Amino acid sequence: MDFAWSSSQRELFDAVVAFARKELGRELIQRDAQGTFDREGWTKCGQMGIPGLPVPEEYGGAGQDALTTVGALEHLGYACRDNGLTFSLNAHLWTAVMPLVAFGTEEQKRRFLPGLADGRLIGGNAMSEPQAGSDAYSLRTTAVQDGAHYVLNGSKIYVTNGPVADLLVVFATLDRARGAPAITAFLVQRDTPGMTVGRKLEKMGLRTSPMAELFFEDCRVPAENRLGREGAGTSLFTHSMNWERGCILATAVGSMRYLLERCIRFARERKQFGQAIGKFQLVATRIVDMQLRLTTARHLLYYGGWLRSQGKTAILEAAMAKLYLSEAWVQSCQDAIQIHGGAGYMVEYEVERELRDALGSRLYSGTNEIQRTLIASLLGL
Amino acid sequence: MKILTAFKAVPDPDGDPRAAAAAANARWVINYFDAIALEEAVRLRERGAAAQVVAVTIGPPRVEEQVRAALAMGADRAVRVDDERPVDPYFVAQVLQAVVQREAPGLVILGKQAVDDDSNQVGQMLAGRLGWPQATFVSRLELSDGGARARCTRETDAGLQVVEVRLPAVITTDLRLNEPRYVSLPALIKARRQAIELLSVAQLSPAARPRTRVLRTEPAASRPPGTRVTSVAELVTRLREEAKVL
Repeated sequence: MDFAWSSSQRELFDAVVAFARKELGRELIQRDAQGTFDREGWTKCGQMGIPGLPVPEEYGGAGQDALTTVGALEHLGYACRDNGLTFSLNAHLWTAVMPLVAFGTEEQKRRFLPGLADGRLIGGNAMSEPQAGSDAYSLRTTAVQDGAHYVLNGSKIYVTNGPVADLLVVFATLDRARGAPAITAFLVQRDTPGMTVGRKLEKMGLRTSPMAELFFEDCRVPAENRLGREGAGTSLFTHSMNWERGCILATAVGSMRYLLERCIRFARERKQFGQAIGKFQLVATRIVDMQLRLTTARHLLYYGGWLRSQGKTAILEAAMAKLYLSEAWVQSCQDAIQIHGGAGYMVEYEVERELRDALGSRLYSGTNEIQRTLIASLLGL
Repeated sequence: MKILTAFKAVPDPDGDPRAAAAAANARWVINYFDAIALEEAVRLRERGAAAQVVAVTIGPPRVEEQVRAALAMGADRAVRVDDERPVDPYFVAQVLQAVVQREAPGLVILGKQAVDDDSNQVGQMLAGRLGWPQATFVSRLELSDGGARARCTRETDAGLQVVEVRLPAVITTDLRLNEPRYVSLPALIKARRQAIELLSVAQLSPAARPRTRVLRTEPAASRPPGTRVTSVAELVTRLREEAKVL
């Protein structure tokens, strides 16, 4: 058992922190209010190689294993306060890039991975529908083969990166009556006739990450853009969700570290009743709990990443990581606000935004109720 | 044309100043002026004005992280002269002179000074020892005459001065010459696989040795914290009555 990062991993993480501090998170209060995506920041992240971290080198990526990738993303989450941008990167990585790495044909990988790895292309995923959320496989979007094409009809909701995505992994059913075994995935490119991007959805948090509805009306997708074989949609979705659950909150662990350091600094500097508020046990224990949560969350994250890097399955660990990290992040955001008092509630102090950004994590990648259900079933209940 | 750039690994000036004083715990980085020199060399190669960029440093194995950073920034080859003694300008100029004679570059670009000791002497000494022209504090560099000359804009107290030097020459960089690129993660990973060429002072310039002995280094005295005033009136009153500057 070895808990230390190697010098080359630390070198990568240092480079990520230095880059993010200098280049990301500009005019964030304003962009958060307006819901503006940082396209320039995205491009810079691409040039830095962040969206290509787990992509094999032969396709233009950095070829890093799961553990190094989550380590780098944790450092990104620590140094970049634009949680919306990091969320967009996460959606891109776990719901478009990794399914393509795992299920893409050689031709598909050559066509799309280099652009996805260096940030020229933005990826996303369209699964959820108005009537198919937690019950994901009850989706109603259909795909009917017509010669060398599949014709897609239906609509998708809550599509992260929808308004800006160049490539979407879209799930549709070949036959509604056949249920899950008929679900199939397709790579749909921006501007494919028949696909329209609906209005941008206004969100409580992660407001700098754009989200939209998608509509498919006789949208003809070339057969060579089918991802995986017909009916492989559920195994593809399960695979990608498993990665997503295990890794998507790496950035949240970084955010928790940032909040902890900020709270420690504040509690040492802020004086009330003639002493630093950190000397009051009610404040100190809150910070101790933040540290405890951070360390626990980090170990869950790393353990899942380590299992993946060893080529082992991490289904239970991924569900636990998603469940625990999201709850821990929300709680630490609330603690940070409480420690900062009235200032923590003010937009200009940039603590309240972290809470708004954190709350969605209990919902996306499967609600925490779904995670508990999954864990219970893995425990034989 | 081959361009030779040299760099020094220095304690991170943005890091904890106490760590910088206790060098053992410091985080080391490429001296910023040297990073500018390397960036300029790489840009010249990218524009087709140079064929190869060689980055050289003097230091113990510890500095290999910065050597790899230089490779990741775009140096084609990296040379480390293995030596763990603290360096001084004359020693560095002697060693670099030997490296230059070995490598025969058409242009040497160096940072104008290292941010740890602020000596600002190596470029000048090296040019003097080689008998080459020099242009120091350069904020703009253009090759002219089919690469036979360099037009250099220098930042001086009197203003911007343009000089032209015949190559081969030694050029030292000022802050505004360029902004060094971020090293991308794939470049960092690739640089790990590149070989670092090792040389020794004994091979290069056996008689060279550092002559400066640092007697003592003390951290700067800490300043007392400032106070916050609540109004302009209070500010004026306190400037007059406490600071006695009005």
